[in-house]
Amino acid sequence: MLDLLAQTGLNAVYAASYISLIAVGLVLIFGVMGVINFAHGELFMVGAYTVVALYADRHLPFLVAVAAGLVFVGLLGLVMERALFRPLRDNPLGGLVASIGFLMILQAVAVLGFGVRMVHVPPVTQEVIVFSDRIRLPVARLYVIVAAVVLLSGLWFFLKRTRFGWALRASAQDPEAAALQGISINQTARIAMFIGAALAGVAGALTAPLVSINPHMGHSVIVTAFIVIIVGGVGSLEGAVIASVVYAFVHTFVTTLYDGVIADIVGLSLMLLVLIIKPTGLFGSADRA
Amino acid sequence: MLLEAERICVSYGKVSAIRDITIRVPEGKIVTIIGGNGAGKTTTLRAFSGLVPLRSGEIRFLGKRIDGMSADKIVAHGIAHVPEGRRIFPNMTVEENLRTGAFLRRDHAAVEKDLADVFARFPRLKERRGQRAQTMSGGEQQMLAIGRALMSDPRVLLMDEPSMGLAPVIVEEIAQIIEEINARGLSVVLVEQNAELALELADMAYVLETGNMALEGPAHELHDNEHVRAAYLGL
Repeated sequence: MLDLLAQTGLNAVYAASYISLIAVGLVLIFGVMGVINFAHGELFMVGAYTVVALYADRHLPFLVAVAAGLVFVGLLGLVMERALFRPLRDNPLGGLVASIGFLMILQAVAVLGFGVRMVHVPPVTQEVIVFSDRIRLPVARLYVIVAAVVLLSGLWFFLKRTRFGWALRASAQDPEAAALQGISINQTARIAMFIGAALAGVAGALTAPLVSINPHMGHSVIVTAFIVIIVGGVGSLEGAVIASVVYAFVHTFVTTLYDGVIADIVGLSLMLLVLIIKPTGLFGSADRA
Repeated sequence: MLLEAERICVSYGKVSAIRDITIRVPEGKIVTIIGGNGAGKTTTLRAFSGLVPLRSGEIRFLGKRIDGMSADKIVAHGIAHVPEGRRIFPNMTVEENLRTGAFLRRDHAAVEKDLADVFARFPRLKERRGQRAQTMSGGEQQMLAIGRALMSDPRVLLMDEPSMGLAPVIVEEIAQIIEEINARGLSVVLVEQNAELALELADMAYVLETGNMALEGPAHELHDNEHVRAAYLGL
């Protein structure tokens, strides 16, 4: 029993890692730009396909493919900022609708380029850390955990300790007052969009060898991310990370003990429960970021 | 002339907010804009700092046109705006708020010196430097907003209703701070509902009524003006 708990705990830590990468990006974009990016799951998908194209098909080193996924999806975020969200800045609903259109374009491009079939990426490493007979951690999963910790710590440092990080938080809290300090809203929007998209892309790239990849894989990702940011409190980065951990543990344990469908139901019920008890989310307030 | 608005008009949609307003701010002076609710005082100040576009007219800073520039560019010229309602960043610490005021500056040594100056001027901000700004009282938040504006090392300070919602003893303190800031050579444009306070502090005064310039002149003259006394000073 203890073994099972430990093993499921490890699985949950892995799930929490990539979920928090996605959720934090979504929260950052919402905080700074005030827009809900429905295409966030598809940015994750594009990151995964970058690894398919560069690592599986062209046999480039995995880390190179992951770095390319990070940069490419980050640049895609810049394109979205310029082409969709900036022209629609005064219209948050317009930004949301535009992002839904963009997610359909990304799905269609993925179908055209790679087909609708599931794709599997060859494993990066078969190594497994064996704690005991029944507690094992595949090294590929460890990579995801380490990457998430490093990237999220880096983001935290950036936001709390650098002047551009302060600028980002300032424009999330009060865009007009930020402009009065000489902070360019276009610039902070670009930074937020690049970071948010790149985090989704790198999550997709890192997990690519561990999941089956298809053009519609973003759907379940965005649903999970929405649950997490609602539980954590829309606009709270810390809340997104903590809620990712809570959700991942609940979901993984219920999946292990019962099955995945029940786990989804429990996850959504958790969200409803939080909304009933504390509508602003566990760490949310009326203010943002 | 340090800062001047020449016949500026601003409208929100089809509604005209201010019409043909001309205001001159000489170097080192305190200029006040008084008037009732909805007279266009805040709009005038927002036009100076680029938060609202002009429909017509010109704004010049040291002879150079700045109308049409975005707000974040105008700050770089040396115009700092302490907005109505203070608008500090609630979830950032006091020190982070102040340093954000110096966002554009590259002269790091001078920034540290200015930060020390602000802390010397507002000891309570120093005591609370690590505290989240939203946990402070209204008066402290107003001092933070002023401190943040000073951190950009401006030539002119635009202040929108700095006395709003504050206890009389704090208002007195704010008035003293404005005089001190001005004594160091900084020009101030002061928008106030508290006309008594504003006319006491200012060198020059403008009176706005429903978007039009009603009166202008040296502050002490307007203080003795019959119309001003009746309409704004309640005398």
